[in-house]
Amino acid sequence: MKTSDKLMIFGLIFMVGLLVYFPGRKVARMHVNSKTAVDDHPLSCISCHLYTRKEEVISKMINADYYSPFNLAVSNNGTRLYVIAQDADALLVVDAENNKVLHKINVGIHPHSVILNRAGKMAYISNQWSDNVSVIDLASSKVIDTLKTGNGPAGLALSANEQFLYAVNAFSSNLSVIDLSSKKEIKRLTTGNNPTGTALSPNGKVLYVTSRRANPAPYGEPLSSDMTLVNDKTQTVMNRTSIESAYIMENVAFTPSGDLAIMTLIRPKNLIPSLQVERGWMNTHGIGIIEQKEGGRVIQLLIDEPNSYYPDPFDIVISPDGKTAFVSSSGVNVISVIDIDAVRTLMAESSPEMLKRFSNNLGISSLFVTKRIATGANPKGLALSPDGKLLYVAEQLEDKITVINTESLEIISAIDLGGPNRITVARQGRRLFNNASHTFQNQYACYSCHPDMHEDGLNYNLAAAGRNIVNVISLREIGDTPPYKWNGKNQSIYKQDGMRFSRFLTRTETFNYDDLDALVAYVKRGIKYPPNLMHNPNGELTESQLRGKALFYRSEDNLGHVIPENNRCITCHPPPYYSNLKLADVGTLAKTDDSIYFDTPHLNNIYASPPYLHDGRAETLEEIWTIYGLEDKHGYVNDMTKIQLNDLVDYLKSLRDPEFYQNNSNNQQQALYYKSN
Amino acid sequence: MMKIKLKKYSKIAVFSVVFLGIGYMGFLWYGQNISSLNHLSEDKLTMLDDPQLLPEKTAKLTAIEKDSNPIPIYGHWQNFTSKDGLPGDKAYCVRINGNRVLVGTHEGLAVYEQGKWRTYTTKDGLAHNGVLSIDVSELTGDVWLGTMGGLTRWSAGNFENFTQFNSGLPNDIIYSVICDGKDVWTATAGGAGHYDTFTKRWEIFTEQNAPMHEPWTYGVCAGDGKIFIAAWGGGVVEYTKKTKKFRDYVDPDGNMEMDLFPDDGVVHDITTGTSWANGNLWVATYFGLSRYDGVHWKGYFDHDSGLASNFINFVRAVGPVAFICTDKGLSTTDGENWVNYTKNDQNNAGKTIIIKGNEKTASAMSPSISHNFTLGVDVKDHVIWLATSKGVSRGELLK
Repeated sequence: MKTSDKLMIFGLIFMVGLLVYFPGRKVARMHVNSKTAVDDHPLSCISCHLYTRKEEVISKMINADYYSPFNLAVSNNGTRLYVIAQDADALLVVDAENNKVLHKINVGIHPHSVILNRAGKMAYISNQWSDNVSVIDLASSKVIDTLKTGNGPAGLALSANEQFLYAVNAFSSNLSVIDLSSKKEIKRLTTGNNPTGTALSPNGKVLYVTSRRANPAPYGEPLSSDMTLVNDKTQTVMNRTSIESAYIMENVAFTPSGDLAIMTLIRPKNLIPSLQVERGWMNTHGIGIIEQKEGGRVIQLLIDEPNSYYPDPFDIVISPDGKTAFVSSSGVNVISVIDIDAVRTLMAESSPEMLKRFSNNLGISSLFVTKRIATGANPKGLALSPDGKLLYVAEQLEDKITVINTESLEIISAIDLGGPNRITVARQGRRLFNNASHTFQNQYACYSCHPDMHEDGLNYNLAAAGRNIVNVISLREIGDTPPYKWNGKNQSIYKQDGMRFSRFLTRTETFNYDDLDALVAYVKRGIKYPPNLMHNPNGELTESQLRGKALFYRSEDNLGHVIPENNRCITCHPPPYYSNLKLADVGTLAKTDDSIYFDTPHLNNIYASPPYLHDGRAETLEEIWTIYGLEDKHGYVNDMTKIQLNDLVDYLKSLRDPEFYQNNSNNQQQALYYKSN
Repeated sequence: MMKIKLKKYSKIAVFSVVFLGIGYMGFLWYGQNISSLNHLSEDKLTMLDDPQLLPEKTAKLTAIEKDSNPIPIYGHWQNFTSKDGLPGDKAYCVRINGNRVLVGTHEGLAVYEQGKWRTYTTKDGLAHNGVLSIDVSELTGDVWLGTMGGLTRWSAGNFENFTQFNSGLPNDIIYSVICDGKDVWTATAGGAGHYDTFTKRWEIFTEQNAPMHEPWTYGVCAGDGKIFIAAWGGGVVEYTKKTKKFRDYVDPDGNMEMDLFPDDGVVHDITTGTSWANGNLWVATYFGLSRYDGVHWKGYFDHDSGLASNFINFVRAVGPVAFICTDKGLSTTDGENWVNYTKNDQNNAGKTIIIKGNEKTASAMSPSISHNFTLGVDVKDHVIWLATSKGVSRGELLK
């Protein structure tokens, strides 16, 4: 080919390229602008079209299998660490002397906690998404038993005589008492709401069980959470200590002398407008102290500082001499070191009124927090060596165990668990989600109001005082359920978490676009539903749920009258998300709300998201209709008998993750069957 | 020829009708007579209605204590009313719970502990002040309270309420609540409710899905792997837990105020309570008492047994003995022998009537039970507590 011909062809291609490029770029710009709600987001196609893909092949390519250490235990001689690798569904046995992983023992799904028996020969691992406990013989490193529990086992403890295992069921809010000789659950005791942590008092008499979600209360009333006290001998609940104005009590520990029980907690300020974050007090974070004597006081002290917050305190351990407590402030990658004697002095010298004021005092921590030790990403579970000289920190999003010298309070080493070295986009997004550094004075992370990437059950005042009170929604698998926000004003997660987020909530610099891409990738694809083991463990509906399903899909009322299409459950809540992704008026607009329609929420795993309706006014699913559905605007239900309403609620509670319905072609067929019958 | 035959046959027919009529009357007379032979003739009884005999009460009680009695006899009654710390005089139910006694009154839950009464009301978190029924879970120690406004779980000081609006509870008026392992059963004005505390799931049983005549249910008890529901107008509804199947026991005579054929089934379809112990199901009605041993029914009435009254509000069986709360006092029986506790109208005294076989002995007591309109009873070890429409009574076992 002649040179002139080549130039001709090249010129032609160039011209065509120019003709395509400019309008194409304009279209792409418009597309990206519409998705991100800004006009300067880089035109990077892979942001949306690669990192948020959910096809299995692509997903495997862009993601990595991390371990995500969550909790850990130390052997009696201090030579072994037993680390919960939550994302790997495994227990890692680590040589603490040589910093090496010796064994990876597969356990149940999404393990939460590990404890050892007194002899150090057996390990018990709670599998939160399997509803059981794996029993491991540490000599052989093998699972020798699996014990059935309630729903969502988290914290574990052994009775003083080691004949019984206590499993804290986070999802069903109760405590399983398992007889280790018969290997059977003998009873379940009702606990506070969403419990996770537990500890037996040093004298072996009382088991403390924390709770994370607050007790149900109408918006405007002070919240409280329960610390449940169980008599280890009779295995009955002996007291429920109300912890006022606090929630998210993740874990609890006793001083060795048993004079104090100390738990981590958050004091939310959800009754004031969240827009005032720059004035402080969106959330405050601290510890609760329960004196272990007759008439003992319950005290709360913040570990925050006036211009620097230490959000999402997770675990607490206390040194063998009872003088020092270590708290993992997981939202800012810090271990807060607490002088317990200073706390004792403060308590001794302060009147009840003063102590009450201290619970809101951001400066009081200077009296007892002696050091902040920076760690890797998202420190969670803590464990001390038997002699108390070493503190082990499970860095969930670092895949490492950091080792801290408790005398020098310096990090002396980090144990690499062997997870992937690369940080994927979604992993980076998860780190951002869990980190409060993007919020004014580090007041809170996304995780703070969305613990476990779910929701905290509270209502927040998102607009000016008293306007637009809204309940926090779960973020589980919301990637394909636009629009977002309670009123559906955000067409994408980019918009939800981008400029608007920083302008209205965090009051800081907005995320840079790389970070925003990462956060969106994680929120869209990285947050999974736990299996609905309590209401629909195997996909087969009970008789009651089948009757409820028929009601959900019905087109005629009990008298045979046709129900208008827009007033049928199935119209607005079709599978697989059980949302038509549209806006609707269901007659629940409050006087304080902006006059708008509501985003139709998805109903997958709806059982796990009380309270209900946009402002959380309905404490249970039943109340949506028995109290707030009297005008039949939220579905036609008032012809139903109580049995029918129970069936409908039973069916709603059976709804599982969207993937189940996408893969289950029977659903539509069943729907047609019930419709025709 | 034909006429002769007709005349002859018509005479035979008339004769037959007359004969059958006489025979039937004789049968009725015989039945009545046989029935009366099975119980006591009044003239053999020592009646102590005369107040002049009251001074003998101490001697009589002592005699009773020395005697060997087939069923326990209680005395040394101590009564409590609002003057003594109860929130109100009307007590619906009572339950002994370890070292304390729980009393459901019209004005709240009263708890008697270490000699003092403490009251819990809606201000403390109770669903409704009218507490109609109480049971304590042996597994967890939680107290379940059936009220006029919902079901309350009282656990270590915390009140949690289940209502027909916020849960699957059939109806807010709860006449009876029992704990059966991990399950809680309620008899309500809108059907029987079953709550599984493990799965937190409710089931409702009414005339729509169970052999009931009406949705109203007044009593429920558990025993022998079954649940027995006292259903208004529906007799006893039996639910087998293993098979999840129902069957009903109704009065074979129909919904009549007399028991035409004795011991043919439950004495009446309008049942007010059930209680199961020692292989026997005891059924309370407003028209008498029934006992069912799994094969045979036995009826008890005020006219043919020691039962104080046919109008029975409540029954609780403990071991071989049934404690029956009537409008005319408390009756206790093992099916053969009876002990009744009644109060005089005009003063605080009353009597204990003991019927052993054909012997009836009455003993004056002062004070007696708080009121004759008895609504609830519980017994543990050597102590009995009785809820009445005017106060609560505590009695002790006489040795």
